[in-house]
Formats: sequence, structure tokens, C-alpha cells
Amino acid sequence: MIHIENLVKRYGNFIALDHLNLDIKEGEVFGLLGPNGSGKTTAINCLLALLKYDKGTITVFGKEMHPDSYDIKQDIGVVMQNVAVFDQMSVWENIDYFCGLYVKDKKTRLELVEEAIHFTGLEDFRKSRPKKLSGGLLRRLNIACGIAHKPRLIIMDEPTVAVDPQSRNRILEGILELNRQGSTIIYTSHYMEEVEQICSRIAIIDHGQVLATGTTEELKNMIKTGETITLEAIALNKEQLAEIRGLPHVFEISYEEQVLKIRLSRAKHNLVRILNYMQEHDLAFGRVFSELPTLNDVFLEITGKELRD
Amino acid sequence: MTVFKGFLTITKRNLRMVFLYIIIFLTISLMTQKMLGPQGTVSFELQRLDIAVIDRDGGELAKGLISYLSSFHNIKNLPDDESILQDRLFYREIYYIVTIPEDFEEKCLRGTGQLPVTKVPGSTSGYYVDQQIDTFLNEVRTMIDGGFSLADAIERVSEYAKNTPDVTLIDKTGNGGDMPGHAFMYQYMPYIIISILCYTLGYIMLEFNKPDIKRRIQCSAVSDRALNGQLFLGYTVIGLAVWCICTLMPIIVYGKAFMTDGHLACYLINSFTLTLVALAISFFISSFLKSDELISAVVNVLTLGMSFICGVFVSMDVLGKGVLTVAHFLPVYWYEVNNNLIAGNQILSHTQRNELFQGFGIQLLFAAALLGAALVIRKNRALSEQ
Repeated sequence: MIHIENLVKRYGNFIALDHLNLDIKEGEVFGLLGPNGSGKTTAINCLLALLKYDKGTITVFGKEMHPDSYDIKQDIGVVMQNVAVFDQMSVWENIDYFCGLYVKDKKTRLELVEEAIHFTGLEDFRKSRPKKLSGGLLRRLNIACGIAHKPRLIIMDEPTVAVDPQSRNRILEGILELNRQGSTIIYTSHYMEEVEQICSRIAIIDHGQVLATGTTEELKNMIKTGETITLEAIALNKEQLAEIRGLPHVFEISYEEQVLKIRLSRAKHNLVRILNYMQEHDLAFGRVFSELPTLNDVFLEITGKELRD
Repeated sequence: MTVFKGFLTITKRNLRMVFLYIIIFLTISLMTQKMLGPQGTVSFELQRLDIAVIDRDGGELAKGLISYLSSFHNIKNLPDDESILQDRLFYREIYYIVTIPEDFEEKCLRGTGQLPVTKVPGSTSGYYVDQQIDTFLNEVRTMIDGGFSLADAIERVSEYAKNTPDVTLIDKTGNGGDMPGHAFMYQYMPYIIISILCYTLGYIMLEFNKPDIKRRIQCSAVSDRALNGQLFLGYTVIGLAVWCICTLMPIIVYGKAFMTDGHLACYLINSFTLTLVALAISFFISSFLKSDELISAVVNVLTLGMSFICGVFVSMDVLGKGVLTVAHFLPVYWYEVNNNLIAGNQILSHTQRNELFQGFGIQLLFAAALLGAALVIRKNRALSEQ
């Protein structure tokens, strides 16, 4: 559905997109995951022909995308990172206005606006002005304005920034519902939990480059970390730490403020081995956690820095 | 036509402001007109002033002068006390004091003496009586030099004074020399038209110029041409509506007097060209203003500034030469020049008609220049955003 090849975008000497390549298939919820400033929004803006790029090609629905590709734009819905609605129009008027940019037939539009209002749960706020809405409701209005015309492709650029958990869950459920109804979704975020929760495929992006692409499982399998064990342990000396680092499958440890963090490769009974060592050496320990790798671990291993940095 | 409809929806939200401005405008223009407006002068009449004459000479010439002045003015009998006389003059109970000194006759006829007078400095009444005294004394001297006796000379000059000239009032405006009422209303119209259009369209464009809304519209299936066309249509409709409302006001207030004015079309064309200028100004300022506080500040400075120096609030006659020179560079000045021309002349000469068309043309050029500048700003901004 979307093919981006060798996309380069420069702002003076700064390279925002560095030979970015992406392929997105119809029916996917495709996540673009990367820290702030990694190039996600720039990539989206180039895809929407809002920005001129220096090199590369972008094809959407099999056609090359240009600023005047109105036939392609007709099938795209956009939910911007910032809430983009008219302050002087009501909720209903805003959705009707943005839907009207795509749908000319009044009767059809009325039905679509009602559906969008129902879909985003804004039934009680039809006549409210945006300034009277809470942050979460505003985000829902922002989404309603972007999806009311039922596009084939929906691009959502960090739609849950600064949203309370309740509204966030509602928004994420809504995105999955849109996908079930047949829309392909591109979802950019720096919240890995969200991406992990809703995306069928993910591209990890940093410094304008795609570092890895795949499903969550595929991405996790790409890295060495199979498990991270955390223990609250009092007074471990250098020798003991060296012995722990020497245990089978352990490839990295850290010990700070009496918290021992051990990263291990995939293997059976990792936790048992660590606990046995603690017992054999009569080492006191408190709470113990074992965590499977997250996308943050994937990002950490690939880039050497935390996604949240 | 979604963009156009959106334009109108936001306009609807600003209607309260539009009506508020209209009420303010109507109140100001009607009040000012009441205070300074037409008095309806249709006849000419000599004005008689209350004056005081202190005769310390008592001679024939002095009596002749008093008699001569009494044919034009009311002579008040007041004591020869300087403080009393000055008090009366200060409170405008009298407008002029003539003190005829001793030996006046002798000194005056020899041309060596002066007649002490007290008057309100720089007043027209002072010049008026000065002129009459000079006329009397000069004519008496001339006749004496011509061989008349003093008594004969005084008698003949006094007789001439009784001749009343025929005065024909030239009514250039068709309104007793005064501007018609609706002309006053049109004088104040730039303030209301520019204010309403700049505020309303400024606030609407503020919404449309929000970067995120702009991007959302750019992402949509509406072409740039359609978008600009619909915005242009919105501007046109709102401009026309405001012009129609402003045209309705003199019709409602002055009715037939306005509708039968021979220059009705000129008033309409002049206010229409001004509306185009106001639309261009609002388009220009909305190209770079990004907050409603800024719009409010800029529109206030712009409208009040232009109104004060271009003769909207104050008649051009009382504005300084320097101010008027600066005003030449503002479109409202040319509107007011045209308005004064239309209001002050019932029939326009060929030259005046040319001046009128020149005024229309200059206003249109201002509108075109502002529109061009706004388009360049917008184009540059769009390029820099990419």
C-alpha cells in the first residue's frame, strides 16, 4: 500500500531522514517507534506531501505521491500530533467541516459525522466548543475529524500525547476497531507500550533511519536479551558480582543502590540458577522480578540508548 | 464549498462584535453630527454686536463716529471705568470698547492720533468693528480733503452707511452651504468598515492560518485553487455584507434626503472602493498576525491612527499641513478627499470629477498593493515551511 524508498530530507546541514525505507501493507496497524526528534513526523509529513524531500520516492496506493495528488489524499485520514480544530466551531461543526473536505454529498456526510461522533463517544458534546472540552475529549475530537470520512489509510501522529489513561485506552481501542473495519493505520509514537499493544508490525526509527522492522516478537527475537532479572540484594562485593557475571547465559549485570540487574540470553531456568547462587553463598535478598524483553530493550540494544532518553 | 461554509460559520460567531461596532459607529456619528453638523444656513443677515464707546472728546467727529457705529451695533452706556469695562468684555457682555480720547478730532484729522480700542484678541468681532471704524475715519478724511466741511462729510458718510447691499448666498452644497447629514455619516464610515472587516476577517483567518489546521486542509482532497477560491468568496461576501449594512444606515437615518442626493452613486462607489481597501488591509494583516491580542492591537492602532490623521474624526480643515502630507500615503485620506468633494459641491466641475476618479483610482491602487504584498508574504512563508 505504501512504499517509501531511500527518502532523504535535509534541513540545512541537519539530515532529518537518511535514506529511509518503508513498506506498509494493506490492513496493517503499522507502528513507527522512535524517540522525539528521530524523524517520525518528518517522514509522515513527506508521506502526506506536506514537505518537499531531497531524494527518494514515495508511492501510496501504487501511485507516486505529490502535493496535488488529490485522488490519493481522498482516501487518507490524518490525525495530527497537535489538536487541529476550529475554536469557534462546535464539535459537530468541526467534524462536519473536516468530513466535508472529502465528502460532498450532504446526506452521506451527515451519516458519517454521526458515526464519527458515536465512535469517539462525543454524543454529549455535539454543541460544545473545543475550549470547553477536557484534554482527552479534545483528542477524541481530533481523531473524529481525521477519520469521519472513513478513509482507507489513517495516519495517526502521536494521537495520545498528554492524554489521561482512560481516554488513552479508549483511543487505542478505537484504533483497533478502525483497523477491524478495514482501514490501514500508521501509528507513530514514542510510547512503546502503546505500539506493542496495538501494532501488528513496527519499524524502529532513529536519526532518520529505520533500524529494524518486524512484529513485536520478531523484533524481540532480534536481540540478545531473553530475560532481565532484578533483585534487591544487600552488600555484594566485587568478587560476588564477577561470579554472577560468570554464570551461564548472563551477559550483562549492573549493581546500583543495592539493586542488582542481570540481563540474560534466552535459556531455561535462568531465575532458578540466580536464586541458587544467592542461597549457596548465603546472600540476603529482598524482592525479585523477572521481565521478558520489551521494545525498549530492543531499542537499547540496537542504538545503545534508552527509548525514553 | 465546505471552506466557504466554514468561513461563514465563524463569521456568525463574530456577529455580536459586528453589531457592537455598528452601534458605536452610529452613536459617534450621530452625536458628532448633532454637535458640529449642518445648521441649515439659508439667508444672510448683518450681525449687531454689543459695544461700548467712551467719549472723552465730545466733539463733532466723535459724535459722528458714535452715530455711525450705532447704525451697525448696539451701543451700551457704561461708566468710564477701566475695570468695569474689562469685566464686561471678559464675560462677553460687550465685544468691543472704543475710547475716544480728548483732542481726537484735531489729531485724527491731521492723521497723528490713534484711537484706543479694546477687543477680544484675534476675534472676528474685533476685525469687524476695526474695519468699520477705519472705513468711517478714512472716508471722512477723504471728503474733507475733497473740500467738504466736517459736518457734511460726517452726514454723507453716515448716509452711505444706511445703504444695504444685496447679498446672494451661493449654495454650493444644496444644503445652505453645509455638508448634508449623510455626508457626515460617510465621513466616519472608514472607521467602521475597516474595523469590522479587519476584526472579523482577522479572527476568521487566525483560525484558518493555524499551522495544524492549515496542514490538515493541505492533507485533504481540496485543491489549493479551490481553497483559495472559497476563501476569496468568503472575503467578497463578508465585504459586500458589511458594505450593504453601512449603506443601509444613511438610508434608514436620512431616508429621502440621501436617496435623492445627486451624488448618491458617488457616495456608494467611494464607500465600495474603501471596502475593497479594507478587505485588502485585513488580508494583509492576517498574513502575519498570529494571535487575537495582536490583531486587536494592530487594528486599533491602524484604524484610530488613520481616522485621526486622514480626517475621519476631525475635519481635514483643522488638520496641520504636515499631518495632511503624511495622510497622502494612506488610502483613507483619498476616501475623505472624495467625500469632501462630493459633500461640498452640488455640481461637480470637470476638474472636480477628475479629482474624484483619481481618488477612486488611488484607493484601488492601495488595495492592489496591499493584496500583492500579502500574497508575497504568504508565498514566502509557504516556501519556508517546506
